[in-house]
Amino acid sequence: MSIATATGAPMAHTPAQRSVIRRIFDKAASTPGFRVGLGLFVVLALATAFYPELSGIDPTKMDVKARLLPPLFLGGNWSWAHPLGTDQIGRDMLVRSLVGLRYSFLIGVASVIVMLAIGCALGTISGYFGGRTDAIVMRLTDAQLSIPMIILAISVLGVSRPTIPAIVLVLGVSNWPVYARIMRSIVMTERQREYVRAAKIGGSTDLRIILALLLPLLLPPVLFTSVLDVARMMIFESTLGFLGLGVQPPTPTFGNIIADGRKYLLNAWWIATMPGLFLGLTLTSVNLIGASLERARNAIHGGSEA
Amino acid sequence: MTQPLLDLKNLTVAAGNGGTAKVILDNVSLSLAPREIVGVVGASGSGKTVLSKAVVNWLEPPLTKRSGQVLFEGRDIYAMRGAEMRLLRQRISYVGANPMGALDPTLPVGAQIVEKMRAVVPRTLRRDAERRVIELLDAVRIPSARNRFHDYPSQFSGGMMQRALIVDALVTNPALLVADNVTQPLDVTVAAQVIRLMKELTVTFNTAVLFVSSSLPVAREACSRILVMDEGRIVEEQSTEDLISRPVYPYTRELVRQTPKIWVEAAATPRLDDQREVVLSLRDASQTYKVRKKSGFGGFNLVRAVRNVTFDVRRGDSFAIVGESGCGKSTLMRLLSRLELPSSGQILCADKDIATLKGRALLELRSKLQMVLQDPFGSLPPRTSIGRMLEDPLRTHGWRDKGRIRERVLKVMGEVGVPAELYEELPLGLSAGQRQRVNVARALVLEPEILIMDETLSALDQTEQFKLLDLFQKLQKEYDLTYIFISHDLAMVRKACNRVAVMYLGEVFELADNERLFFDPGHPYTRALLSAMPTLERRRYQPDECLLEGEPPSPLDVPAGCSFRSRCPQAIDKCSRLHPSLTVRERQDFAACHLVMPSLGVCGAAEGMHASV
Repeated sequence: MSIATATGAPMAHTPAQRSVIRRIFDKAASTPGFRVGLGLFVVLALATAFYPELSGIDPTKMDVKARLLPPLFLGGNWSWAHPLGTDQIGRDMLVRSLVGLRYSFLIGVASVIVMLAIGCALGTISGYFGGRTDAIVMRLTDAQLSIPMIILAISVLGVSRPTIPAIVLVLGVSNWPVYARIMRSIVMTERQREYVRAAKIGGSTDLRIILALLLPLLLPPVLFTSVLDVARMMIFESTLGFLGLGVQPPTPTFGNIIADGRKYLLNAWWIATMPGLFLGLTLTSVNLIGASLERARNAIHGGSEA
Repeated sequence: MTQPLLDLKNLTVAAGNGGTAKVILDNVSLSLAPREIVGVVGASGSGKTVLSKAVVNWLEPPLTKRSGQVLFEGRDIYAMRGAEMRLLRQRISYVGANPMGALDPTLPVGAQIVEKMRAVVPRTLRRDAERRVIELLDAVRIPSARNRFHDYPSQFSGGMMQRALIVDALVTNPALLVADNVTQPLDVTVAAQVIRLMKELTVTFNTAVLFVSSSLPVAREACSRILVMDEGRIVEEQSTEDLISRPVYPYTRELVRQTPKIWVEAAATPRLDDQREVVLSLRDASQTYKVRKKSGFGGFNLVRAVRNVTFDVRRGDSFAIVGESGCGKSTLMRLLSRLELPSSGQILCADKDIATLKGRALLELRSKLQMVLQDPFGSLPPRTSIGRMLEDPLRTHGWRDKGRIRERVLKVMGEVGVPAELYEELPLGLSAGQRQRVNVARALVLEPEILIMDETLSALDQTEQFKLLDLFQKLQKEYDLTYIFISHDLAMVRKACNRVAVMYLGEVFELADNERLFFDPGHPYTRALLSAMPTLERRRYQPDECLLEGEPPSPLDVPAGCSFRSRCPQAIDKCSRLHPSLTVRERQDFAACHLVMPSLGVCGAAEGMHASV
């Protein structure tokens, strides 16, 4: 009630009429975490986008003479031509890691999008309409939850060819139930609120209420947690790659590079380490951005605008 | 004079330590004699609740006592050690404003009261404690107390719960009862019962009561002497009648002046022509809900929330629907706003049944009939800017031109008094009054003809209510609006409405013009409501003659005959057999009671009414 009693001129001191979303971005952009994250992300993005083509090195080209070269300044015979060394058949690790990052990141983001789309759509529908719809959707969710991801992946990817769309689909389909449950529970509480009733009286249809009122309100916190899932999906992809169900060689992804490098861990540790390093950097940058956006959103929606 | 029971000497309480701490109670001194009821009245935030807690030694951090003494029978309770204080709890007890939150929902009510008694009076036998609790439950008129003893808090209604808490407070036979806003969450008739009960207690149990209330009329009902608090200080102390007739301090004068008068002032609303166009018409509208039975397998109970409601609303009316909680007001609101369809009967708007409307026609109805919701905090989406909130209904109704939308929204914001700077702001920092204005703006932005106000003002304080009522009257003239107020506040209805429907247990009991309803009510229930209403004037209807015992029957099991029979002081034989229908008292006024004689010339009352309406 302290908010309520502070009447008079509540926010008259902010003359600038910026929209709410704009203010969230501005606030997030002013934090060091966001800048560091964004900087890192941009460097990585530029590198993956241009370095493999500009350097002219083919990530699948073998060079037996230059096999198992260590990264710069480490060991005896490093060379400027291969800054991060080479693998067991002389392929350049930097190019392979950057190309692998392309695929891994693509798979991570795409599968999270699939996951969110299925999970949020079903969860919202079941939470909003309730009753029989809810019962059916939730039983479907339970059924999905009862199938372990690896089993699903082995059966689907083992039977069909493990192409990138198939991998994205398997990862997305096996992880949506969590989102369905989260969305269902928050939509269920929100739909009984008075402002939903007010929108109905205003003439809004159910579809409009869901799309224009509830989703913008409820998605941001869900989106934030899903950023963490991008990382999880990239690791899952590595797992699949490790099992040989991921993207097939010679196309490099983090999964199959690490799987290859495992055998040489003792005498060429960098083969398995470099993709991990890139994975870590990418996830750090994404999480830094996500965390500062979420903090800014909380601050502005919570009313503690500095 | 004997020693006072309670004596506060220059008590100062602050929030937090140090020099910057806010002083909440500033040099408060008061005294209370045995068997006296003393009222403490003040606006919200004036320190009433802190005072009532300070008296029972219940100050929690950051609140700290700075100076002064609280003497109970001559001993300073703040100088006592824990064990002594615990023993003193036998003699001092406290009842708060939120009865539903006060008991553990997982234990039976009786067991919890017994537990309290055995905690503050060690060495009480369980059997004795139980006997005493049942005795007291009887004394506060909880029906079949012996069975109720074993019921859980969720099975008690608000009024019964408040009485159970009074039992909880009285069980040790205290000398002092601190009652903090006890009647606030209760309906007027139940609140009047509770106040009457308190007065009896001072006599039968020798208890003195410190009656803290935010409403002067309520305090007037209960107390012989009233203290007025303003910003942590006691600014005035007089006997009740003197305070009301000759208030001294400016705040008190303002308070007395602002308290609405019912019978002394003439109605603010002029009588309107009876032949105006009917904009909304209910024909035997009923709503029945199926509720799954709690016990046994399957099966449904039928809750008849609204039963055969028939009335017309004419253009320009300010139509009030009044009644206590559980009377079906909210269900009726959902029917009127077409959030639900009636299970039988019709609701006609401009001669079309609103239940059959679909698509474009329904959208048209929505733009004609809008509603302002009750809860100023829940009814605005928390993360949408105010401008966007007001734009949405326009977009829904097919407006596309951004410039025109913005122009329209800004115009409405200006009309209801929401500053244009708030266009891009979230509703977070707004006060309840401001939020309610935004709510009104959202309804008005479509230029409706009918505006339903669902308890719109009940969350606001007196001053803000007046401002909004003035605004409503201004808007009514400007837009030629028809209002339907759904309310439990008769004083507001008297001030703002020209026609009133009184509901009880889903039925309309009386339908009359403002003057007629307040000066010559046709139904005993209306008289009871009027007699229970706290006011500062001499009552027209004496509570002793009209006030109800007990509470409304459950809508699960509506008794045959007149549903009011069980509480009616004038019930006759016929009432238990025959269900009374609305009887014409004059051209425009109806009451559903066997005691009302139909006016001559109209026979077959109910049918006559349908025809004439």
